[in-house]
Amino acid sequence: MIFLLSIAIGSLFAGAIFLMLRRSVIKLILGLILLAHGAHLLMFTMGDGGVRRGAPPIVDYETGAVAPGTADPLVQALILTAIVISFGITAFIIALAYRATQAVKSDDLDDMATTDRL
Amino acid sequence: MLLSMVLFAFATSPLGLLARREPRALVGWGLALLPFALFVVLCTQIPTVVGGPPIVETLSWVPALGLELRFSLDGLSLLFGLIITGIGTLIVGYAGAYMEKDIGLGRFLVYMFLFMGAMLGVVLAGNVLTMFVFWELTSVTSYLLIGYKHDYPDARRGAQHSLLVTGFGGLALLVGLLMLGAAAQQVGVPADQAYNFDTMLAAGSQIAQTSLYGPAMAFVFLGAFTKSAQFPFHFWLPGAMQAPTPASAFLHSATMVKAGVYLLARMAPGFGDTPIWNYTLVAVGGFTFAFGAFVAFRQYDIKALLAYTTLSQLGGLVLMIGLGGKYGAEALVTLILAHALYKSALFMTAGIIDHETGTRDLNRLGELRRLMPRTMVIVGIALLSQMGIPIMLGFVAKEWALKAALESNLAAPWPMVGLAAIMVAAICYIIAAWRFFKNAFLGTAHPDVLQRNVHDPKLAMLISPAIPALLSILLPFALPLVSTFLSPAASAVYGQSFTFDLYLYGGINQALLLSLGAIVIGGALATQERRLASQRIIASISGAQLFDRLIEGMLAVATGMTRQIQSGRLRTYVLYTVLAFFVFVGIPFIFYGLGDVRTIQNDTFYFYEVVVIGLIPVGVIATITARSRLGAIIAVSMVGAMMALVFVLFSAADLALTQLLIEVLSTVFLLFLFSVMPARFRNFSPTWVRWRDAVIAVCFGVLMSGLVLASVSTTLFQPLAPYYLEQSVPGGKGANVVNVILVDFRSLDTLGEIVVLFVAVLAIFGLLRFRKQRNDVRPSGRTLQTILPGEAGFLTGNAAHEGDSSTPVGKAKENMP
Repeated sequence: MIFLLSIAIGSLFAGAIFLMLRRSVIKLILGLILLAHGAHLLMFTMGDGGVRRGAPPIVDYETGAVAPGTADPLVQALILTAIVISFGITAFIIALAYRATQAVKSDDLDDMATTDRL
Repeated sequence: MLLSMVLFAFATSPLGLLARREPRALVGWGLALLPFALFVVLCTQIPTVVGGPPIVETLSWVPALGLELRFSLDGLSLLFGLIITGIGTLIVGYAGAYMEKDIGLGRFLVYMFLFMGAMLGVVLAGNVLTMFVFWELTSVTSYLLIGYKHDYPDARRGAQHSLLVTGFGGLALLVGLLMLGAAAQQVGVPADQAYNFDTMLAAGSQIAQTSLYGPAMAFVFLGAFTKSAQFPFHFWLPGAMQAPTPASAFLHSATMVKAGVYLLARMAPGFGDTPIWNYTLVAVGGFTFAFGAFVAFRQYDIKALLAYTTLSQLGGLVLMIGLGGKYGAEALVTLILAHALYKSALFMTAGIIDHETGTRDLNRLGELRRLMPRTMVIVGIALLSQMGIPIMLGFVAKEWALKAALESNLAAPWPMVGLAAIMVAAICYIIAAWRFFKNAFLGTAHPDVLQRNVHDPKLAMLISPAIPALLSILLPFALPLVSTFLSPAASAVYGQSFTFDLYLYGGINQALLLSLGAIVIGGALATQERRLASQRIIASISGAQLFDRLIEGMLAVATGMTRQIQSGRLRTYVLYTVLAFFVFVGIPFIFYGLGDVRTIQNDTFYFYEVVVIGLIPVGVIATITARSRLGAIIAVSMVGAMMALVFVLFSAADLALTQLLIEVLSTVFLLFLFSVMPARFRNFSPTWVRWRDAVIAVCFGVLMSGLVLASVSTTLFQPLAPYYLEQSVPGGKGANVVNVILVDFRSLDTLGEIVVLFVAVLAIFGLLRFRKQRNDVRPSGRTLQTILPGEAGFLTGNAAHEGDSSTPVGKAKENMP
């Protein structure tokens, strides 16, 4: 199973990098979204004991007893935070791209690159 | 007492600003009382130091690192301390009169006092790290002083050179000192004492056996040679003459440039007397000695002439340390005293001449004997001392220098090298001195001089050079007293306590004959000074120009590299990041990590899992290859949905919920964005670039896959999961462990997350609102019905709505936007 997941992670990163290397603003945004997915999935596989089926990290509310083989709650908490933050970033970039496109009338990044050059 | 002296110097420095008030000359002398107070305090210590062991004061700071504020006063420190405060007193008074019309005098005196404090710190420090702090402070304050006239490009350039050269040397020195400290610990000195001068020097002979000694000394030499302007780092010193004359007289003759000499002298008893030490110092010092003197008499500018003789004299001091032995130590301290006296007098009189005539060019002066007779007397006495004419202090010092070379214990050619350097320098000094005196005071006056009403300055200015000049001629009549005072200093350099007696005439001997011979030859050559000075004997390679080229070259390389790297294109930065990742992660992974990759795991596959996970790469490819924007959105949304399903399949219910919610929102945003853009993609890049990027991206993906496979089964660290699982109910009172972590164990992370979202909302709001205002020509109040009415309201509304729920499920929702 981890083999399949690793291929999925690799493809997400590869696609993200390829899209980020393009000149279109839209593709850059798509690339960032894929990059976030890739990172989340990467973290997901790094949990204690890898990924597990049917063992959500919920313990007995009365006794606090932990069933054996319960999935790692820490990576899930980290990923949850990461998902929300990456959404915030994505939303911001979308708004930024919207404004930038309006301002320069193009979605070509090279048309927006004048402030940063020596 | 020592600590408070240094603190006093720093604390009273703002008083320099008082010099803004009139009458400046009087205020200047009033402020001169500050260094004079320090001078007096140091004088009261003379009996203690002459008789007994050094006075030590320690203020512990980080003892484990050997870092402490430690001050100690022995003969050598006392000699330097008295020179600094004594000459400092005269200079401050002189500056008040010299810069009477300069509105910046207050600022200048503040710098001077700061510098004086730093310099006192250097010579009183008993710990190498303490000393280093003050060492760097002298670099900074001297930079301020040299650049005092900062509206002149030459002053800025001189200041920059001095700071770069001495700053570079300072860094090298720090490395050297730390290495010496490490070596001291290697040979068994406790860590908290490893950086104290006394313990370090006591272990010196053992440290010299360690492998660290050679490199450490190389760095220490770099630091000392740059500070004391030894060849080839000499060029900053003449450039530093752009400073106002009082600063030149103080820093570049009497004090700062001697810091390097002081450091070497301080280290001599412990680390000296090795081949590296002796031969380096004799070679460098000897060459600088002769070279500086040789260049000096070819100068037209009085200050430049004096600067090169200073340079030369510093070489002479380094040479004395290199020659070593008792005579070396004796000659060193005598030379330091003699030089400080006559050179400060000469610089101050050079300033007077400049002040009165408006020029320092020897070709535009003349006949000042008639116009400035008192000044002439002072210059004459100081020059006689510099030339080493009998009965002057300079004569005694020169004779001792010759003795140091004659009696040196070094191997065959080296004492002769030293002797030759001394002779060359002695002869050139006479030519240089005669050149100065003849062109300034004798002959016929230049028309420029006659046009001005040139006369001797008032007493407030004249007294400062007069005192050291008079001491140069009076001290030889009190040589027993001088010897008593200098003996502890020489002992500190030599390493053992001893006393010596200076004398003017000790019978006919080699040293006396050589000394007189130098005077005769020098006198003979001096008559030809104009012809000698105009001969192009050596190619004039200007170190300053070379240095400028070096700096310019470095800047050009840096600019070129920045142009390459900072192209202004995001994709270039991404490319560099990825390539760096290949180099720093990929290559080590190929060499060390491949063995950990396990492709086959003992695991069962379910059909639906394969479909869900398999759709992720499919979605990625579809996103890349989509021809229309809508197709791309559908593809990327599918990837997001599959992510949510993966979370569902592998026991992450909260993640699945969040992911789905976010995915929907993202898709809405994307649709909105795409609705204002052209419907179809254009290909901006040529095909070969696309292929190149594809190869890079695939390599990156493969590397990431490999890293996952290699690292998934590692057990390098104790897993944290069990702790959170077990503590969830007792510690967090919740059964959903993910939520307990978010709102309880790691709630600060969640707070940070909320802050990020909030900032994003503000930024988005600002971006969209900005557009509205720009487009809206009429100043209407209805601007806030923005393009995305739901967005901000959703985020804030959700948090308010769920904020008070306390069940585990409520906690889960609280963390969703």
